Amino acid sequence: MALPTRRASGAPTKRLAEDGGASPLSRNLHNLSLQPSNATARPPPQTDTSSDICPVCKSSRYLNPNMKFLVNPECYHKMCESCVDRIFSHGPAPCPIAGCKRTLRKARFRKQTFEDLKVEREVDIRKRVAKAMNKCESDFETLKDYNDYLETVESLTWNLILKVDVDDTERRLRLWEDAQKAELHPNATIRRNLDPDPSLPSDTAHVVLKKGATQRKLPINTTTSNNGPNPPAADDKAPDAGFSFAGLKKRIAPEPEKPFDPYGGWSFDPQFYVLQEDYNTPWLAPYKDNPDYLAGGYDITDFYDRALGDAFSGFGVFIEEEVKARKGSAKAKKGTAKAVKAAASNGAVKDVDMDDVF
Amino acid sequence: MKLTEDDSYRTSTQYKHWSFTPAQLASQRRKTNARASARVRANVARQRAERAQLPDNANANASASETDRTGSGVDTGANTPVSADHEVDCLTQDEEMRLVDTFCERALELGKFCKFPTEVTATGIQFLRRFYLFNSPMTYEGQNISRTAMFIANKTEGNHTSVETYAARFPKVTAEQVLAPEYLLVQALRFNFEIRHPFRGLKGGHMELLEMARGHFAPLPADERTSAGVQREMQHLPLKPGGPPTQLAVPALEKRVADAYAFASNVLKTAALLTDAYFLYTPPQIWLSAHLLADEPLTLFYLSAKLPPTHPAHAKTVTTLAACAALLAAHRSFTSDTTSADAKAARNKADAALIKKLRSCRDPDKLDLVKLNQAQKRDAVEGSGALEGGKAKRRKIQREAYEKEADEFWGPELAKNGGRPV
Ligand SMILES: [Zn+2]
Ligand SMILES: [Zn+2]
Repeated sequence: MALPTRRASGAPTKRLAEDGGASPLSRNLHNLSLQPSNATARPPPQTDTSSDICPVCKSSRYLNPNMKFLVNPECYHKMCESCVDRIFSHGPAPCPIAGCKRTLRKARFRKQTFEDLKVEREVDIRKRVAKAMNKCESDFETLKDYNDYLETVESLTWNLILKVDVDDTERRLRLWEDAQKAELHPNATIRRNLDPDPSLPSDTAHVVLKKGATQRKLPINTTTSNNGPNPPAADDKAPDAGFSFAGLKKRIAPEPEKPFDPYGGWSFDPQFYVLQEDYNTPWLAPYKDNPDYLAGGYDITDFYDRALGDAFSGFGVFIEEEVKARKGSAKAKKGTAKAVKAAASNGAVKDVDMDDVF
Repeated sequence: MKLTEDDSYRTSTQYKHWSFTPAQLASQRRKTNARASARVRANVARQRAERAQLPDNANANASASETDRTGSGVDTGANTPVSADHEVDCLTQDEEMRLVDTFCERALELGKFCKFPTEVTATGIQFLRRFYLFNSPMTYEGQNISRTAMFIANKTEGNHTSVETYAARFPKVTAEQVLAPEYLLVQALRFNFEIRHPFRGLKGGHMELLEMARGHFAPLPADERTSAGVQREMQHLPLKPGGPPTQLAVPALEKRVADAYAFASNVLKTAALLTDAYFLYTPPQIWLSAHLLADEPLTLFYLSAKLPPTHPAHAKTVTTLAACAALLAAHRSFTSDTTSADAKAARNKADAALIKKLRSCRDPDKLDLVKLNQAQKRDAVEGSGALEGGKAKRRKIQREAYEKEADEFWGPELAKNGGRPV
């Protein structure tokens, strides 16, 4: 609804500017249009101005074509970029729109994506809910359980959108988020418990504390249950997760990742030598402390290991026996079959005996 | 999952593809010789038949170009036995082996002359031996192949030189001549470039022996002796097998170890490379055998520290080492000090005779590797006549067919005269 009017007002302006010097009449019109104080030149409809004039500083996009409007998802009141800079640069401040008074932060201001701010808000809410309620079908025992879950999610989303039971829904959502977080990072919760964040809302802090205490208590249930500051009754109850869904599978924590092993579990285990710290060999002396080698990261022990490894790799291999033993078994022919073909396709008489090798 | 030293050796291509029993080696050489002889005879016969058909004039031209070819590619001046009517006298298996040994010795000298690192020369010689296990010197001439083998060895051992620099070391050798047999050689090696040498192993053993002599040796977990005990035992080792026990001071012992190392190292750089040791034994066995030749009591003592005499594999290991040592000791580089000048002269004469014989039984198809190599590539000099008439024609027709096919699909080649329409 705002778009067509904006275009309607913008198009004649542009045309006027273009032929501003063409005729006395048009020049006159052009001048008139530059005078916003002139009552006859002002576009009368209210919607037109609301989309183009900042409600805070009243400056108009007409005069400042680079003007950008921003909204804050806290209250979705629109204002221009320079107002945001001016009002919120020094930290959080109340919304300047009359009757709003919500505290806004500069970092959360953004360009609006949808022209209808209701849509904008709904999208934000859905985004937020989807982030917290992120189960998928495989997390549930049956499809019905999953559908019930989706139903719950949808109704709580609508609660938030339609502002029904907002406080309770918000609280439960936050509890759920915390419960999920605790399940994902059990260690993080304990840390938060030791160093509670005073800025957190009291109910959340309480739940987290409770949860942390439960988790600490879990392995040795009997010994520590009495000396905790929390009432034992609170500990006995399962922590309130905000929601409970039937048929939700318990999350199985993945195995902690093992340190990367480039050899895939194999290790070199020399049978015939014990590697010593150092070998005092005259012909190695010049290399040991020479900065020319050391600077490049050369480590003489690598040479020791390699030399001794070479000294014995094959020590217990008796070729005559082993070769006879493997003679019966089929020998690899893959590589050579190709080579034979290549040699044949070269057109030359077979250069290399490729028939019975390997 | 644990891997031992032996497992690591069993993963090498040297073990998988290039280890043989003596019987296998002999039978392979017999096969190679038989096949090469048959091919030489067939090719010579065919060539003679072709010559006979040609008019005299053309025949003269042909033999002239023949001489050109041999001159450019082969320094030994191999002359095809075109005029001879009798059956070609091919090399026997033994003669082939002696020839290969001669090539290897020359390659060793080449390495010394060019001042290549030991590993490069050693790798080059092993490439050569592997190549001639499946190819006959009658088919491919040793000098070309060993030049190229050494060039490839330089690359595989990380001692890079450009082919131009490399070729410039030799009189009258072009880069092209070095590169011509490269693919052939690499293919014959089955693209197995890694050669496991015993050199570094010998160094490792030497390091340990020195530590033993100084009393700092760390015995194996199963060994109950202390390092001081090992040192004491070592000081009493007899100098000769079966000799009286000695009482050596530590510096004297160190010198004994160092001498053994120097001797063994020399054996590894000569005899071990020039025999079939690399085919028949593993690098540890080779270096221990070389060390055994240098100082038997010391080596056996070292062996007992690794493999106690009660161990079931001990006897087998000692037998294997002795066999390997016998192989190394039988090589003429090892006995060269004791052979008389007459014997040496006789041997040189025999070698010369052998090379002369080789000239009379070369495979006429394989004389000029450069042109053979070119003929297989697109940039072949057209009509150079490197190949036999029929083969060249067939290949030319094939190539033209390919080009026609390609032109139909992609359109003809762009004009080279500055892009003007033809
Ligand atoms: Zn403003
Ligand atoms: Zn507001």
